[in-house]
Amino acid sequence: MSWLPPLALGFWGVVLLQAWASGRLNLLLRADFHGLVLGAGLALLLLALASLRWRPQRRSRLIPWTALLMLWAALVVLATPPRPSLSTLAANRSASDLGASPLSFLSPPEQRSLTDWVRLLRNQPDPALYGGEPVRVSGFVLAVPGQAPELARLLVRCCLADATPVGLAVRWPPGRPWPQPDQWLKVSGVMGVEQHQGAARSVLLAQQLIQIPEPARPLEP
Amino acid sequence: MAGIAFNSAQGATVWAVFQGLLLEALPFLLIGVSIATLGRAWDPRGRWLQRLPNHPLLGPLSGAALGFALPACECGNVPVARRLLAVGAPLGSALGFLFAAPVLNPIVLLATWAAFPDRPWLLLLRPFGSLLIALVLAALLQLLPEAALLSQDLLAERRLNQPLASASLLERRGGQLGAAAPPPMALAPPPPWAELLDHGLREFLELGALLLMGSAIAALLQTLIPRDVFLSLGQAPTLSVLSLMLLALVVSVCSSVDAFLALGFADQVTPGALLAFLLLGPVIDLKSLSLFGRLFQPRAILLVVAGVSLTVLLIGQWLNLVLL
Repeated sequence: MSWLPPLALGFWGVVLLQAWASGRLNLLLRADFHGLVLGAGLALLLLALASLRWRPQRRSRLIPWTALLMLWAALVVLATPPRPSLSTLAANRSASDLGASPLSFLSPPEQRSLTDWVRLLRNQPDPALYGGEPVRVSGFVLAVPGQAPELARLLVRCCLADATPVGLAVRWPPGRPWPQPDQWLKVSGVMGVEQHQGAARSVLLAQQLIQIPEPARPLEP
Repeated sequence: MAGIAFNSAQGATVWAVFQGLLLEALPFLLIGVSIATLGRAWDPRGRWLQRLPNHPLLGPLSGAALGFALPACECGNVPVARRLLAVGAPLGSALGFLFAAPVLNPIVLLATWAAFPDRPWLLLLRPFGSLLIALVLAALLQLLPEAALLSQDLLAERRLNQPLASASLLERRGGQLGAAAPPPMALAPPPPWAELLDHGLREFLELGALLLMGSAIAALLQTLIPRDVFLSLGQAPTLSVLSLMLLALVVSVCSSVDAFLALGFADQVTPGALLAFLLLGPVIDLKSLSLFGRLFQPRAILLVVAGVSLTVLLIGQWLNLVLL
């Protein structure tokens, strides 16, 4: 069984390389870390091959179950790609603090992303400033208990573990059921004003909904 | 805790968060194991490392300073600290490195500055708090005899590399009195590179297996427990510190990025709680605690958890008293 540890190591190299090549990392990690995963995958694969080719005279003692567990885990991770429910993930997280980013404020309204709009509304929350401005944004449907669902994106600083949502209140077209959580939509409409918990707030008055596939990079930095 | 029932959407989310944590941590673990293996090649008997100071204050401080030379987050730190302990480096230095280096390194300090340029007190108190924790934990753990502190395998390796005067012949043979003797280990000339590779591979797999378990627990808890449970106590001075300490334990993100995560809720919590989050996470979280199993006996791990929790709570409380 001396081939088992190098095999387990090699399979983890394959897992990292496959995650990089298949775009799986786009769903799990911020782009800054992708190069690191690629490098580690290559290194693990080369080290495994070297270890299989050149056997030491005296082998290190290995806790018996570790190589088997690592090999099994690598195969399971390889065979089972992540399909998280972004809405479930976001429901457990507080809304993100976006900080200030004045440059994005200069974009014309119809070119602002969902994140730009949320940032703008938090920095200058007076709804009267934006009434009637055209909006074209995309995001996933985030269920909000007791209220209409929002359109949201997830911001990630490191990996999915620290993802935090930014959501935009939407008044969905009347006469139609609300969209399902986790659906990806492109929403066109205008910004309006509504009363919410005794105060005025901006709301996207949706006029057109187009269902879109999940983007290649669903997480935003 | 309403809605804690497990459904398929939550199961799929746990699986994705688990993969995210693991794929982010594995490269850092590889870096740590590589540093430890290169150190083994360069100085197989650890003669340079044995010269680190053995002073109760200077020992941990010198270990902490090594973080500037070997910048790694907590996952990469464990194999390096294990190497320090295995070659017989003074206990204080190795523990100082283990507990302080995840914060006292240029990458983490720069990240903290980038995330909180408007909170100069945080830039000062994070490294100093981290040093204080390392000093307290090093002093506390050194109250235990090495046989009660270090894991059996590590103790046996350490005994073989320590100067003759530091352990009796019986301890040197068996790791501790009355224990079964480990298989013979060579003291011999620097190992050839195939053996180095084999040793590094073993180290990576053993730590990786522990990392699997830590990541699984962290993914499960942080998907099932709403983060608002931790943040809802944001403005209560003591409870906010305690709840953010729990959050740091569960979230298990690397020390190099935890400041950016904290930025997301910094305005919702007390200053003491914010500092507590940034101090506790680099020392213990569910991921690193699982890795500590390769270094310490269970009783010592409990001592680490108790020591760091109490120290961080006191620091957080003190800061809240000063700033609130």
